[in-house]
Amino acid sequence: MISSAVLTRRAAPVLACVGLLAVWQVASLALKNDSFPTAIEAIRAIPDILGDRESLTNILASLRRMAMGFGVAVLVSIPLGLLMGRSRGIAAFFNPLLMVIYPVPKAALMPIIMLWLGVGDATKTLVIFLGVSLPVIYHSFEGAKAVEEKMLWSGAAMGLSSAKRLVRIVLPVALPEILTGCRTGLVLALITMITSEMIARQSGAGNILFNALDMGQYDTVFAMIIIVGTMGICLDAIFESVRARLVRWSEPQFDMPLSFS
Amino acid sequence: MKARQNGRGSNDALDGCENDDPSGRLLAKVVPLNVRAREAKDRMTVVPARSSEWMRPVNSQEPASAIIEIDRVSQVFQTSARKDHLALSDISLTIEEGAFVSILGPSGCGKSTLLYIVGGFVRPTSGMAKIRGHTITGPGPDRGPVFQEFALFPWKTVLGNVMYGPRQQGVRTAEAEAQSRALIEMVGLKGFENFYPKELSGGMKQRVALARTLAYQPEVLLMDEPFGALDAHTRTRLQNDLLNIWERDRKTVLFVTHSVDEAVFLSDKVVMMSKSPGRIRQVIDIDLPRPRRRNELLLDPRYQKYVVDIERMFDESDEAGPFS
Ligand SMILES: Nc1ncnc2c1ncn2[C@@H]1O[C@H](COP(=O)(O)OP(=O)(O)OP(=O)(O)O)[C@@H](O)[C@H]1O
Ligand SMILES: [Mg+2]
Repeated sequence: MISSAVLTRRAAPVLACVGLLAVWQVASLALKNDSFPTAIEAIRAIPDILGDRESLTNILASLRRMAMGFGVAVLVSIPLGLLMGRSRGIAAFFNPLLMVIYPVPKAALMPIIMLWLGVGDATKTLVIFLGVSLPVIYHSFEGAKAVEEKMLWSGAAMGLSSAKRLVRIVLPVALPEILTGCRTGLVLALITMITSEMIARQSGAGNILFNALDMGQYDTVFAMIIIVGTMGICLDAIFESVRARLVRWSEPQFDMPLSFS
Repeated sequence: MKARQNGRGSNDALDGCENDDPSGRLLAKVVPLNVRAREAKDRMTVVPARSSEWMRPVNSQEPASAIIEIDRVSQVFQTSARKDHLALSDISLTIEEGAFVSILGPSGCGKSTLLYIVGGFVRPTSGMAKIRGHTITGPGPDRGPVFQEFALFPWKTVLGNVMYGPRQQGVRTAEAEAQSRALIEMVGLKGFENFYPKELSGGMKQRVALARTLAYQPEVLLMDEPFGALDAHTRTRLQNDLLNIWERDRKTVLFVTHSVDEAVFLSDKVVMMSKSPGRIRQVIDIDLPRPRRRNELLLDPRYQKYVVDIERMFDESDEAGPFS
């Protein structure tokens, strides 16, 4: 027997997607605008894109760059954030640097980076890397800072060196917070992936999208939006299942309803 | 979530009932455990720095020698308002090897701070603390803290928490697990091995914290109100267990408490502190026979006199205190 609460939880995301498509369909029928195809037209265009070898190669190339930028960013940012959280000196050094980079839209750096590295993979991967790094560093930093001192003392009393305490106590305790940063980073990776391809038109999912836009193939444009959106949903779901497994020990045990009526 | 209670006797330990003499039963378990752990340490390949010292078997026939010396320690804290706050003032105290010493004093008099200094977690503003003649410069596995705040590792289960110390010191997994399971049973948490700290009550967490520290066999136990969050039954039972462990191993124990009864019942020496700034008011030797049995002691007029006298001193210090 599946309880009604579980059923609701399972059905909710599907309902949300169907609802969105329905609103889209109605809106587009009402507006009767050439550049706003109906949801059904957009969905019909999807098989053409996914069936086309070149488009598929483009999308895979996008995903590869994204994985690369995201992966390297996470590997660099977590240790940096943790070190910043546990050492005032390191934090004092890196904080101003990060504060300079933080508000700059990473895509705005593209033209400059393109001058140095060209329009190829390196530039786009670097931009994704920059986009992902900051939230991951920030959340790792906050997570490490919040680690209870006595927990570290307990480790020290057991003979853990300070390097080992960072890896074996600060890292696991901060993990839920770090993963929050990674999740934000994942979304930003997707965004910067598309924007980077919008600026450096050469290959990728963003390239298909904006080429179609230039040629007025609006159903392809919206089909690409659906594809990218679906990619986002899938990546997030995969990430969430990994995350839930890693930090099961920290999940709240009770749902807190908004009201107790 | 439901506790798995595997039939025999595990549930009475959880309730803290004493009808079938848990102390006798527990002793039988504790002894081989410690022997096993010693053997394990002898075979260890990774040897901590002061191993030769903290492995030395403590023999009650040896003449008592000072293990911890606190020498004119003062501690000044900078408060957020940028004022200096004198938390400890000129504390000198010598603790003999194998002694059970309680620190008793009103809240905020610096008991925890003193314990942190001996633990090497806090460096005193002036003065120094020594262990076996060496100035304490940092924490080490020879001194095992049990913090007032528990500070359990939240990502580890009960078993994982208790095993952490022995594993860290190179005890093999199977061995560490066997020792840890015995300790978990001793503190009355059998059946909860796979629970995470967030799934435990306050008193249960405190018992895990105690087991976690006992597991790596520190030579000196630094206990900060370890029974503060326990109900009266469990408290009494763990006091008995602690006394049993102590009477076996003769570990040196520095024990912070608010409770006069507890201090008199457990200690060789009670250090009374006064507040603002934290000073040692008086050191009282508790001259009561051991092994101590609670039911005998409660009827003993000498015990009663200690409790009454110390309580009176407590009241006086309250009246004399600047904040009262
Ligand atoms: N990190 C700190 N910064 C500033 N003041 C501190 C700090 N730690 C402790 N103090 C002050 O030092 C004094 C002693 O604190 P401590 O925690 O040692 O008291 P305690 O005797 O353990 O009290 P309790 O019995 O309530 O645990 C208190 O007045 C407290 O305000
Ligand atoms: Mg305290």
